[in-house]
Amino acid sequence: MSARSFQARLLYLLIAVLAIAETGTLVSVHYAGQRAIKRTVDDELSVGTRVFDRVLEMRARTLADQLRVLVSDFAFRDTIAIADLKTITSALENHGKRIGADVVVLIDLDGNVKTDTVRGRWQGKPFPFATMFRQADDRAGDASATVTFAGQPYQFVIVPVLAPRPIAYIAAGFAIDERVLADVARVSSLDVSIWTSPPRGRATNPDFASLVHPLRTGDGSRVNALLQRSLAEARKPFTLLEQQIFALSAIVLIAAVFAAVLFARTVSRPLQVLAAGAGRIGRGEYEQPVVLKQEDELGQLAGAFNSMQSAIAAREEQIMFQATHDSLTGLPNRKLFLDRMAAAIAAAKRTRGTAGMVMMDVDRFKEINDTLGHQFGDQLLIEIGRRLTQTFPNGTIARLGGDEFAVLIDHERDVTERVEAAFEQPVVLGDVSIDVNASLGIATYPEHADDAGTLLRRADVAMYDAKRNQSGVAVYDLGRDEHSVRRLSLMTDLRQAIARDELELYFQPKVDVRTEQVLHAEALVRWNHTAHGVMRPDEFIPLAEQSGRIGLITKWVIRKAIAQCAAWRADGLDLTVAVNLSALDLFDSELPTFISGLLSEAGLPPEKLLLEITESAIMKDAAYAQKVLRDLKRRGMCLAIDDFGTGYSSLAHLKRLPVDELKIDKSFVLNLSEKASDDLVIVRSTIELGHNMGLTVIAEGVESAEAWRVLKDLGCDMAQGYFMSAPLPASKFRDWVLRGRLR
Amino acid sequence: MVRFLLALIVATPLLGATLTVRVSDARGRAVSDAVVYALPEGRQLPLEKKTAMMDQKNRMFIPHVLAVQTGTSVNFPNNDDVRHHVYSFSPAKTFQLPLYKGTPANPEVFDRAGVVTLGCNIHDQMSAFIVVVDTPYFAKTVNGAAELADVDAGRYTVHVWYPDMRTEPRPRSIAVTAGERVSLTFVAGRPNVRP
Repeated sequence: MSARSFQARLLYLLIAVLAIAETGTLVSVHYAGQRAIKRTVDDELSVGTRVFDRVLEMRARTLADQLRVLVSDFAFRDTIAIADLKTITSALENHGKRIGADVVVLIDLDGNVKTDTVRGRWQGKPFPFATMFRQADDRAGDASATVTFAGQPYQFVIVPVLAPRPIAYIAAGFAIDERVLADVARVSSLDVSIWTSPPRGRATNPDFASLVHPLRTGDGSRVNALLQRSLAEARKPFTLLEQQIFALSAIVLIAAVFAAVLFARTVSRPLQVLAAGAGRIGRGEYEQPVVLKQEDELGQLAGAFNSMQSAIAAREEQIMFQATHDSLTGLPNRKLFLDRMAAAIAAAKRTRGTAGMVMMDVDRFKEINDTLGHQFGDQLLIEIGRRLTQTFPNGTIARLGGDEFAVLIDHERDVTERVEAAFEQPVVLGDVSIDVNASLGIATYPEHADDAGTLLRRADVAMYDAKRNQSGVAVYDLGRDEHSVRRLSLMTDLRQAIARDELELYFQPKVDVRTEQVLHAEALVRWNHTAHGVMRPDEFIPLAEQSGRIGLITKWVIRKAIAQCAAWRADGLDLTVAVNLSALDLFDSELPTFISGLLSEAGLPPEKLLLEITESAIMKDAAYAQKVLRDLKRRGMCLAIDDFGTGYSSLAHLKRLPVDELKIDKSFVLNLSEKASDDLVIVRSTIELGHNMGLTVIAEGVESAEAWRVLKDLGCDMAQGYFMSAPLPASKFRDWVLRGRLR
Repeated sequence: MVRFLLALIVATPLLGATLTVRVSDARGRAVSDAVVYALPEGRQLPLEKKTAMMDQKNRMFIPHVLAVQTGTSVNFPNNDDVRHHVYSFSPAKTFQLPLYKGTPANPEVFDRAGVVTLGCNIHDQMSAFIVVVDTPYFAKTVNGAAELADVDAGRYTVHVWYPDMRTEPRPRSIAVTAGERVSLTFVAGRPNVRP
């Protein structure tokens, strides 16, 4: 039980409350006791004073009665009346003893002492306690008083001697002695003492409650009774009571602590169970429910915990499903597929087995989507997923995104056949029937990769190869991937190639077939890569096109080419430079203005620049290309169609294009001979077609004398190729032209 | 007229003077049972063998105050059905008659002047006084007045005594002539005033 637990705090609180209450009780009992003691003691002392007075009064009355009886004795009266003083004195002594008087005095009716039993100390003098005497004499009766005699407190009583009229008075004195005090003490349960001097020391004893009671005296002297009550004695019952209360408090406290511990357990035990349950939920363990068999709020809470637990479990399962599955087809997604692939590879590693995957991409899916609508596309994807699932009922089928699917396989045997079988039947959706063709890429462990990510990438590469080759299926070719990697790093390097001046222009002559004069110089860019060496355009231009950097390269090439042309011209070398434009360059509306600016800047006539555009580039967006070409033509530049014969252009198109030149694709020229009838027919008809449309015709890829001769025979205007010269750096090109001869 | 009236009084056939004495206490109340007596100055009057009686009835002495001339014999007849023990410790006559019934054989002779206080030893409430005077001229007041008749001419000292007086009024000396009527007033506790 930690100090901050519920149980501990409940305990502390209870103990604190009880301790305060019990301390309060004890304190109030104690003070009430003190007050009661004080009141009791005060009462006792007050009663004591009355008892004391009463006892003295009773004693005085008794003594007076005794004395009266005594003096009414006939013989005594006789003695008093007639005897001599000595006899009288002895009679006083004798009779005084009978009633225990300490002093007996005979007083005449005038208040003078006739004789006494204290050796005649008062004889012949007035009785010293005159007030008392007068009291008695006034009534001819008795009187009594407390007086001080010989330094001691005494009670004196005085009675007349009647014969039957008073003939004298007898006074008797009785010391107020221990017996009297004992009487008072017995009745009042007080300590009693009597003082004729102030009872200083004793009255201030702190162990006693004291009361000084001044007695009424008959002679004006001070006589004090000191009444005292032992406080310890008075407190005894209260002390006992306090002890009992204290003991009771302790018992109650202990009982309360036990009760609190028990109660706290009934609360904290379930709370611990609930906390453990909450902890399990927090850790994502949903199997074990919280078991709390009680009907109270905590039991309800446990029920709520359990329903929360199952709700969270269900929701988490749903989230997990959504995170690992494709929402459209319900198939596992890329992430889950990679996980399972990894698991399959791990299993294969253990069993020294194999694992692999087929990656599949639906051919022309974008076209289908565009033509028949996204909804149709989605339905198609679902159907493809369904067929794959049917084909591989025990396998993992995943949709990786878009129109890409993947199948987890053990080995590559008969996979292709099964997939092909799955799509043998056209997919019929509504009233549309469609043939699904797919490109498959296969990669397996351990041949192609030993981790899921690499395996997926290589299957991807294989699939692209299949697509490119239109072979339908391709297994990953080791080493293929290296190229991809190189391609990737080139993409990055290309960004900096221009800044680092790693690009260089080479020039290849275009020669007039009839005069063998160099008319044009085609500018070709080379990349002096620091790591890969000199790279040809077909190695990096497609990359530049993909990464959107082709515009920069084109502009660089045009600027350099114009500058070089202007330089040759100034050197007396009158040539036309030819520059290749990419399909993407045609979409840059700024380009014509840019080129015009450069030409006028260099002072070069625009017809000295020939722009070569591939037939396929023009065919991508024929209408727009036509517009751009017209603009360029209007500015005076010459235009050529590159790679003619590969781009399915129609004659109608061709007719509308403002071009000056046709360049026959080198695939028709490379093997051109008089025997190669196909190429010969194409080249011949192309030349005829160009001439008929008033265009200059040039053949590239001329690498043999035979080709040269055939072209000359066919009336081709110009030729370009290794037969004449490879592309040369600017200075070498100039030398070559100035030498003025063919190889 | 006044003279004639005086003549009438004086001319009454009396041998001696008449003393009328009034006694009142300090508060002016008339005192009864006060003994008034006149003692002749400078001469001795002859004793006479007189008798008197102090009766006891209903546990009381009757009379309460008895004035007698010196030498008078007083009888103490007991008319109660209980015995009495009559005693006196007075210096003028100390005696006792132990428990008796009827009349004792011999009377007590009071031959000394003075006040004799009587009591009964067994009945404390009984008390009486016998005032023994050396003169035949004495009387007790009734409603505060007493008359001493037929007093021989001469000088007398007039005394007053009664039981509860605190101090005896100062005696008065007075001379009377035959047939004279004299009034005296005693006020207890106060100087006497001659009228």
